[in-house]
Amino acid sequence: MLTSLFNRFKAWRLHKSSEKRPWQEWDYLVLDIETSGLDPKHDHIVSVGWVLIQNGQIQLDTARHLLLDGAQVEDSIGIHLITDGDVADHGRREEGVIRYLRQLLRDKVLVMHHSPLELGFLKAWWQQLKQPPLSVSWLDTLAIERTKSTRNDQPIQEGGFRLAPCRARYGLPDYQGHDALTDALATAELLLAQVAYQGKGCRLHDLLEIGGGHVTFTSKQKFKR
Amino acid sequence: MAAIDVPEVQKFIANTPPFSNLSHAQITTLLTGMSLSYVRQGQKLVLIDESATVHLIRRGACEIRTPKGALVDQIADGECFGVLTVLAQNPDGLEVIAMEDSLVYRFDKQAFCKVLEQSESLALFFKHTRQHRSRKLSRSQSADLNTPVLQLSTPIEQIMTRQLVQATLDETVQVAAARMTEARVSSILIIEDKHLVGIVTDRDLRSRVLALGMSAEVTLANIMTGDPATLEPTALVMEAQTLMSEHNIHHLPIVSAEGVPVGMMTAADLLRHQELSPILLINQIHRQLTVESLARVCQQWPTLIVNLILTDMKPADIGKVLAAVSDNLTQRLIELAINELGEPPMAFQFLVFGSQARSDQSLGSDQDNGLMLSRAPTEVEGAYFSALARFVCDGLGDCGIRLCPGDIMASNPKWRMTRSQWQQVFSKWISSSTPEALLKASIFFDVRCVYGDEESVVTLLKSMQTEVANHSLFLATLTRSALASKPPLGFFRHFLLESSGEHKHQLDLKHQGLALINDIARLYGLACDRYRVGTIERLEQAIYEKRISSDTARNLMDAWHELNALRLEAQRRHWQSSGKASAYLDPSLLSPLERTHLKATFAIIKDAQEVALQHFAGGYA
Repeated sequence: MLTSLFNRFKAWRLHKSSEKRPWQEWDYLVLDIETSGLDPKHDHIVSVGWVLIQNGQIQLDTARHLLLDGAQVEDSIGIHLITDGDVADHGRREEGVIRYLRQLLRDKVLVMHHSPLELGFLKAWWQQLKQPPLSVSWLDTLAIERTKSTRNDQPIQEGGFRLAPCRARYGLPDYQGHDALTDALATAELLLAQVAYQGKGCRLHDLLEIGGGHVTFTSKQKFKR
Repeated sequence: MAAIDVPEVQKFIANTPPFSNLSHAQITTLLTGMSLSYVRQGQKLVLIDESATVHLIRRGACEIRTPKGALVDQIADGECFGVLTVLAQNPDGLEVIAMEDSLVYRFDKQAFCKVLEQSESLALFFKHTRQHRSRKLSRSQSADLNTPVLQLSTPIEQIMTRQLVQATLDETVQVAAARMTEARVSSILIIEDKHLVGIVTDRDLRSRVLALGMSAEVTLANIMTGDPATLEPTALVMEAQTLMSEHNIHHLPIVSAEGVPVGMMTAADLLRHQELSPILLINQIHRQLTVESLARVCQQWPTLIVNLILTDMKPADIGKVLAAVSDNLTQRLIELAINELGEPPMAFQFLVFGSQARSDQSLGSDQDNGLMLSRAPTEVEGAYFSALARFVCDGLGDCGIRLCPGDIMASNPKWRMTRSQWQQVFSKWISSSTPEALLKASIFFDVRCVYGDEESVVTLLKSMQTEVANHSLFLATLTRSALASKPPLGFFRHFLLESSGEHKHQLDLKHQGLALINDIARLYGLACDRYRVGTIERLEQAIYEKRISSDTARNLMDAWHELNALRLEAQRRHWQSSGKASAYLDPSLLSPLERTHLKATFAIIKDAQEVALQHFAGGYA
């Protein structure tokens, strides 16, 4: 009992100290999900898109765009332009997708733009599908942007934290598409830009400090910062 | 892992030459193993190990340099670097430096080489790029010694002034002014406890002390700019340039990491460093042997203009400097044409019209020109001048002076005439006063000779003046036509702005402001006994000949300077942000004071229009 507690403490110490390593020594999974609405209790995930950052670079080969099986998409058509036909053609079983994602996320940092939505849905997913628990560190590019604007005392106006205006501030190109994959890529580029502006020797620790946290997905609800 | 469709990436590659010619399968191969990174301005990209491969700029700009720092190429969105690295193992050790924050795709070397083998057009393209860069490289290496190039990526410490002129917070402005005068500098650093706390410039002494009638005993603490923008000595010249233009300042203290001042950088230092003095550019122009190399030298031209604007040179002087450069460029092109085509069969004059004649060119001006021959040419001689004119006009175009959209160019046979033919044309315009003639007048009646014996042009102008004097109706009609455009000054304290299109709700400083003053000055200029071509010179001549009240003329000159300064500044901003020299101004960006000032300026134009109407058209609009 005591040994196991000690081991967990050791693991925690190791984890903490490794956060002090340069940011590019970590792998990141940048995720965007499209949902049928904003409420994880009633709405469901329509599609997920992601891309990995390794060695400080976006690895385009790792980009994935998955539409989920049986997702009903009438409500969200206007926003994402995914049709029932797409779902029929490319649909995947939720269970398979979440296991894939879970495996990928194991040794990576999860990155999102506006984390409450993604985290809420992932949490609900874990509960519904009874997956083994998973602890990850996460970063939120929107939270990073917000902290930076407060620190620099340069308030950003209403709507200025959406993905496109955030990107525009770093001179990133305007993307036409708004599917989960394009948004994931857009978020990944935004993170690279934010890191570049952190200056030399940016560590994961610094990024977590200004816009991140830790989360444990379980089938029994458990949530900590 | 195989590459998959990332729509934004695929779309960009498929629309970017030379990749746009590739098949879908080839693009898929190319995308395999591709990665994407973001580099900050000033960062050096190292092309070794797995990054020793071809890169494609998605958004941004980079410079390719030799290890010694000579510029090989400047590239931007949709262009590649690392080509020499892949094709020739980068024997020259070229470096790539980001000039702007850039988003860069990196191809996997194997995948790239595979596609290169498959696609002949791609291989050809990159072979060409490589030769092109090798050529530029050999040029820039010989240029290391004699031709200075833009060195935007030099650290500031290499060019900053190390002599520091300092004062303390409790010293008086008079003491500071005396110290500045003695050291012959235009700014003084305010130091407390070895640290920089503020700066006072010539401009501050003028606007914060003299203009407010303050005493010479005021302490510097009361008038300094506290906590000024600074950079560290390791920062790059381009960062200094960006910072200075963003904050609209001309003095930048250089401060160590500990906050201790170590140097000073002024806009003039920047200009000197870049060796972009107009004189130097003109010297370079005269040393070039081909149109191609002239065009390369002239690539510095926009930067020169931007720098002149940044150093607060008076607009009228900027216009003169630019006229000198374009005159010399035109002369050099004519010399090159003669080298190629042989000696001309007769004497001729190269005439320039419009803004080049008036010496008020700026960024993005186009060319208006024509030829005057000493006699009617034979068919062979005609062909000679046609070739010469084509050579010069195309050459000007290559050097960044756009071809005239209205085809008022020497390359158009219509504008290659003998003196008597030119005389007839002018006299026809003057006597007919048709709308077409009046339109032509605004371009052709501003004329200057930049090549050949000036005497014939003077004769032409004299006959034109006489013609104008004999046809009082012409000036009256020209006045009414010129006055048809009103300055954008509504009755309800609102600006009358462009109401549609790209420049909606913006003020066109050129056509709604400056052109109106040029038109008025032309009227007086044509009425004067002595022909002058510049707007300011025409107004001065009119005062001298007592054809306009000195008050009206002086107000008009002030208005012209004011609008020109605004236009140059607007163009510089547009140029630096978009590469287009638009003279449009968004009035909402002006402070209330500036807006009032601008309105007063337009009111002056309106008054002067009324006066001109009385003078030339008996008050009948």
